[in-house]
Amino acid sequence: MIEKVIFYVFAGILLAAALLVITARNPVHSALSLVLVFFTSAALWLMAEAEFLGIALILVYVGAVMVLFLFVVMMLDINIAVMREGFSRYLPLGALVAVIMVLQMLLVIGAAGVDLSGFAEATNPALSETNNIRMLGNVLYTVYVYPFELAAMVLLLAIIAAIMLTLRRRGGTRHQDINKQVRTTKAERLRMVRMASEQKNEQ
Amino acid sequence: MIESYLPVLVFIVLAMGIGVVPLLAGFVLAPRRPDQDKLSPYECGFEAFEDSRMQFDVRYYLVAILFIIFDLEIAFLFPWAIVLDEIGLFGFGAMAVFIGILLIGFLYEWKKGALEWE
Repeated sequence: MIEKVIFYVFAGILLAAALLVITARNPVHSALSLVLVFFTSAALWLMAEAEFLGIALILVYVGAVMVLFLFVVMMLDINIAVMREGFSRYLPLGALVAVIMVLQMLLVIGAAGVDLSGFAEATNPALSETNNIRMLGNVLYTVYVYPFELAAMVLLLAIIAAIMLTLRRRGGTRHQDINKQVRTTKAERLRMVRMASEQKNEQ
Repeated sequence: MIESYLPVLVFIVLAMGIGVVPLLAGFVLAPRRPDQDKLSPYECGFEAFEDSRMQFDVRYYLVAILFIIFDLEIAFLFPWAIVLDEIGLFGFGAMAVFIGILLIGFLYEWKKGALEWE
């Protein structure tokens, strides 16, 4: 009973935050609402006993992807007033895309003939002794090893693409060559100078 | 099982309370007598020169995206470490190939100088 109440509280926060993502005037506020969306979905996943996925969602999406989103928002230097102008103009196109996406999802679910009762059994702790992360690990590195290695290739592609697109060398910047600093000798840095006052003292 | 997360929920509620209560207290209790000069934007006595939101350099984006990639790699390591006893040498090899592929990317970005901050 109380579990249901907590679920509806989190679901309500999730929907409200999701609505705020698309209605907020300031793109930074949108990005921060998206953080709340991810956080509440992580809480919902914890309630579904998918602990690893929930914590991975916080670590990867809240910790890393949202920072990237904020950087992109700051990089684009968006003029807020201009951005709001086209809302009604793009509404039909957006609605069309949404309808097509829903149809595609329905087709995928229909084609796979997904039987959801199987999932209910898998997540029911009374029926399965083993936990979520163990179940995931047991199949990810054995049965699904090929998609797993493909994921590595996709990440490699992302590294190379990001470097190719954004790495710019600019001239005239000062570098610190630590190797050179460590290998320096006394002769390079220090010059003994004989001063007049010094000679007087010696006599 | 799910009951064991009750302390987490208690902490979330407490943390939100501690965050919200001082703000509300300040809002309710503090005296507020706004006038023209208090509400105007202030920048060391001058009128504001520009928007406080400035454009970021694209290099921050590069650092962030490289961080995400290795963050994901670590996320893959956790379930692997848990079940290593059960998946045996095959699982170990699978992870070795995975890390090997990403090592190529790491060496690439190192040699390319993407980790250097000019």
